[in-house]
Amino acid sequence: MHRQIEFRVNGNKVVYSGDPLTRLVDVLRDDLRLTGVKEGCGEGECGACSIIKDGRLVTSCIIPVGACLGSDILTIEGIRDTEKGRCIVEAFRDGGAVQCGFCIPGMVMAAYVLLSSNPAPTDEEIRVAISGNICRCTGYDLIVESIRLAAERGGALWQ
Amino acid sequence: MAVNYVPSTLDEALLLRKDRKAIPLAGGTDIMVQGKRGLGLAPQLDRPVMIISHLKDELGGIRKDEDGSVVIGAIATAAEIASSDIVPWHVRMAASGMGAIALRNSATIGGNIGNASPKGDLPQPLILLDAEVVLISFDGERRMLLDDFIKGSKTTDLHDDEIIASIVIPPHEFTYSYYRKIGMRKANAISKLSLSAAATIKDGLVVDFRASSGAAGPKVIRSREAESMIIRRPVEDIEGIVPDFLEAWDHAISPHAMPRYRRNTTSRMLTRFLEAIVNGEPEGIVR
Amino acid sequence: MPLTGIDDKVVRVDAEAKARGEARYVSDYVLPDMLYACMVRSSVPRARITGIHLPELPEGYYFISAKDIPENGRNELWMIAKDWRCFADGDVRYVGETIGLLVGKDRNILRYLQDNTRIDYEEGVPAVTIDDAIALKGGPIVGEDNVMCSLFCEKGRPMKDVFNEADSVFEETIETGFQEHVHLETNGALITEEDGRYVIYASAQCPFYIRKSVAGLLGISPEDIIIRQTTTGGAFGGKEHFPDVLCGPLLVAESVIHKPIKLIFDRSEDMLYSVKRHPSKTIFRTALDKEGNILGIEGTIYYNCGAYLSASYVVLQRGVFHANGVYDFPATYLKGVGVATNTFPSDAFRGFGAPQTLFAIETHLDHIARRFGFDPAEYKSRYFIKKGGETVTNGHIIEEVKLPEMLSRLAEASDYYRKAEEYGIGSGRGIGISFYNHGGAFTGNGEQAIIKAHARLVKEGKRVRIEVGSTEMGQGFQTALRKIAANTLGIEMEDVDYPNPDTSLVPDSGPTAASRSTMIVGKIVEECAKEMKERWDEGDFSVEKEYVHPEGHPWDQDTFRGDAYLGYGWGAAVVEVEVDRITNEVNTVGIWSCHDIGHAIDELIVHGQVNGGIIQSLGYAAMEKMENRNGHFRQESMSDYVIPTSMDFPKQEWSLVDNPYQWGPQGAKGMGELVFNGADAAYVDAVERALGITVTKIPIPPEDIEEALENA
Repeated sequence: MHRQIEFRVNGNKVVYSGDPLTRLVDVLRDDLRLTGVKEGCGEGECGACSIIKDGRLVTSCIIPVGACLGSDILTIEGIRDTEKGRCIVEAFRDGGAVQCGFCIPGMVMAAYVLLSSNPAPTDEEIRVAISGNICRCTGYDLIVESIRLAAERGGALWQ
Repeated sequence: MAVNYVPSTLDEALLLRKDRKAIPLAGGTDIMVQGKRGLGLAPQLDRPVMIISHLKDELGGIRKDEDGSVVIGAIATAAEIASSDIVPWHVRMAASGMGAIALRNSATIGGNIGNASPKGDLPQPLILLDAEVVLISFDGERRMLLDDFIKGSKTTDLHDDEIIASIVIPPHEFTYSYYRKIGMRKANAISKLSLSAAATIKDGLVVDFRASSGAAGPKVIRSREAESMIIRRPVEDIEGIVPDFLEAWDHAISPHAMPRYRRNTTSRMLTRFLEAIVNGEPEGIVR
Repeated sequence: MPLTGIDDKVVRVDAEAKARGEARYVSDYVLPDMLYACMVRSSVPRARITGIHLPELPEGYYFISAKDIPENGRNELWMIAKDWRCFADGDVRYVGETIGLLVGKDRNILRYLQDNTRIDYEEGVPAVTIDDAIALKGGPIVGEDNVMCSLFCEKGRPMKDVFNEADSVFEETIETGFQEHVHLETNGALITEEDGRYVIYASAQCPFYIRKSVAGLLGISPEDIIIRQTTTGGAFGGKEHFPDVLCGPLLVAESVIHKPIKLIFDRSEDMLYSVKRHPSKTIFRTALDKEGNILGIEGTIYYNCGAYLSASYVVLQRGVFHANGVYDFPATYLKGVGVATNTFPSDAFRGFGAPQTLFAIETHLDHIARRFGFDPAEYKSRYFIKKGGETVTNGHIIEEVKLPEMLSRLAEASDYYRKAEEYGIGSGRGIGISFYNHGGAFTGNGEQAIIKAHARLVKEGKRVRIEVGSTEMGQGFQTALRKIAANTLGIEMEDVDYPNPDTSLVPDSGPTAASRSTMIVGKIVEECAKEMKERWDEGDFSVEKEYVHPEGHPWDQDTFRGDAYLGYGWGAAVVEVEVDRITNEVNTVGIWSCHDIGHAIDELIVHGQVNGGIIQSLGYAAMEKMENRNGHFRQESMSDYVIPTSMDFPKQEWSLVDNPYQWGPQGAKGMGELVFNGADAAYVDAVERALGITVTKIPIPPEDIEEALENA
């Protein structure tokens, strides 16, 4: 039986020994103070709490910490100062993708996963990739354009 | 307050199941929502939960057996299923239309079946394909048709000491295939209604015909009675049978909410599929 | 040449911090010794409370309720009316009414206490719909007739004469449903004390509203409370008055407990227990001559206000003032009636009453046009109001109206006339068009008589700080206002600061609502900047000014006569759809819009507002269904109340006509609400044409289209 859950968050080792059903979002926000992870719905429907777990995009509000055994977790705090993360953040800034901002860290994570596997996505592929990230402000067009801008500006970065 | 566990091995999991009736959690996309209690609070269920998402060697993977059956491990995710070449088309379609990307990366086939929601995406095509579910316990293995395993809305035949180990889809070849999910919006949506259909035509005879309706009753609906009206009939007879068949199917389904819409749309979808057979349209996917 | 040109492409000042996850929303704040709060709410829509049974409260846990309001305080939240109680007392009037606040350190224990609190009720029969209210179901909730507010406007000859001369009268009833804001950040607030003053951190549009609203609970003055706006994750009207419902109970709790207390709603609370857009029912009777010309329109407009009046009278007024759309009809008689029901009070939502009646008139005109065989765009354009034209409030349009130009640009961009002809009626494809407007700022002389907005600029060295009560909630105002100030001062935008407002540090600039911020507050800041520029060499100083209303545009708030709005935003939208004949799923293939917002302060921000407003409007028409059964909302999550994803609508084409507004900063008018006001009607028009159906109620998900097909 695993009484402790060991995993890594943004490269740092984390050992959790509480209730394994604790929501990952609460561990990230409350225990690790990674408040760039936002909670919008608590049901995995809005994508605001999106993080990258072992290379895949997941919503941290419906992942129990017990399911993170040995996992590598990346949050917005873990990518924002990397070259790729900066590329997306700056494209979002310059492309007008950001309004109220609450969905944006999750949206950046979705873009990061997309561009990491598809360096030159079509608009349709971008729309599919962010379809689990709900935004109430922008109507998405400028987010789509900003992700395309990140792909163009990043160029070899994403290859 | 229930205590929750992370078993290290499948045996530990089976023991927790037997001794504590622990609920298996693989992806968490259903259970975490069912037990939701609010911000900053761990979900709680009336029974202990055991997290089995890491038991990939024992419960994961997708493979094809020698007889052509496809075996999908219970904790295979919707994303894995959607991107697997060996998984039958109907199932891949349903898996790729489940929620959005992040959900598909977590949600598992075992969870989707075990939850037995009438709106669940995977049971509908699996039941169309006569898939079987493999259940394991310390007493051994049990296999049964998924259609028999799911008894009704949110109820299954899973025994208190059992875990869903895998799903087995027998081989098949269809001349025509149809799959449609109508969600509340174009992506990231729960099913409002779904339908799968398939038919095999040999020498002008319909040798296999089947359909399954999702979100049109307490469980996925297949009507062997209605299907038998078409099976072993010559293609040229089908047009005349359509009205009676549609009526029989309409009797079989029992949508609770939006009954008119669900009934009429189901009829229109089946009509479209049968029309492809009647017209002798090119083999393959009917749209 | 100023350093910051008003048409320069600039970068949003708040974008990077938000994208990096560094912006701090209220749920991100943690103070030492902080306690949490959760609400105990009514679970029935209409009842007398006969008992409140709490489990035993552990040490350090509190139940705060009406009993904790001091003798010199009043159990009321002063929104526009003062009828909404902070805590239910003796009876409950809707599901989710605040009965008390549980406060303590551990959220697990709070949840246990909440689950084990039992309220005994003696239940009445709830009225839920407008029809229930009119029928006095369960007995009147207010007065003798359930009418909370009403007004009428009359223009032209008496309707009796008009109807007598009519060749035919076309009557129809058009309805719109509840709409939930779904700002991605749920409601939340945090209270603490500093130097003997209460301090509230809140996700809010209107910090000064909160302080005014809640001070009376403790019998203190608004200045005794400091409101600090935290980064606000979307609002759309949902955080205009509603934060009072969180901050009121928190203030009472703080007066008892004296420790930091945080209250954050989870999504299901925010969905079930927050304000919504008013459902509406508009009955139009239109007098027509033989050729189908409109002689006059009589409209009776019902809004479901919910259990308390709060801001509804003002919402209803705006609804009535927009019920003639963008048209100049010879005669109109428009009556608005706000009814009381046992539902959560309805409140502000982008458009503030205008979208409902604009949808109704647009759809009604489409139906008349089709009945007489006219193309709706051609038919409607005959009635476009012009500069000098008489409004329904017997005032006049003061500005140039560029609708004809907008129509022709839009028709060209979308190939409207060719497609309208080619698709015809019932082909499965359809193209629809709508026209709309939105009166800028507060109605009539409200800005002058009620709001009296102030703004201040403070010069420190070469930096200038904007001090206003206006808030950034995603609409881009921090960027727009800095741009206005920098441009007027002739300095770089980077040298202008505009922190989130703290009510103890900035003057009251009025609410961030009513599409007034750029138009009104922007104008005052521009005036301050002009003076500051002239006196630039005087060293460090500040300039504060009050809004000055242009003269010569009278308004009588008692009779609702005069110039209701000095400037309007104008809009036109075209939507093209294909409908799946098997499933009734609508595929939107094109969206075009053209707007007149005066002169745009920042095109990129405007672009984002246009896109977002239009998608919200399309969601309202297509999919956002919020049902209420017996007083309970049925949709409680983002999976059953669905709003558009990135896949639901295609990329939009949009344009602006330049029409500088004489009283706006750099010629700007309001635009935040305008862009919500019309795409819904264009969508419905397109679907109607595609299928040959008549729609009189939104939203129209596939199952409602099925119903319309059966009725066709």
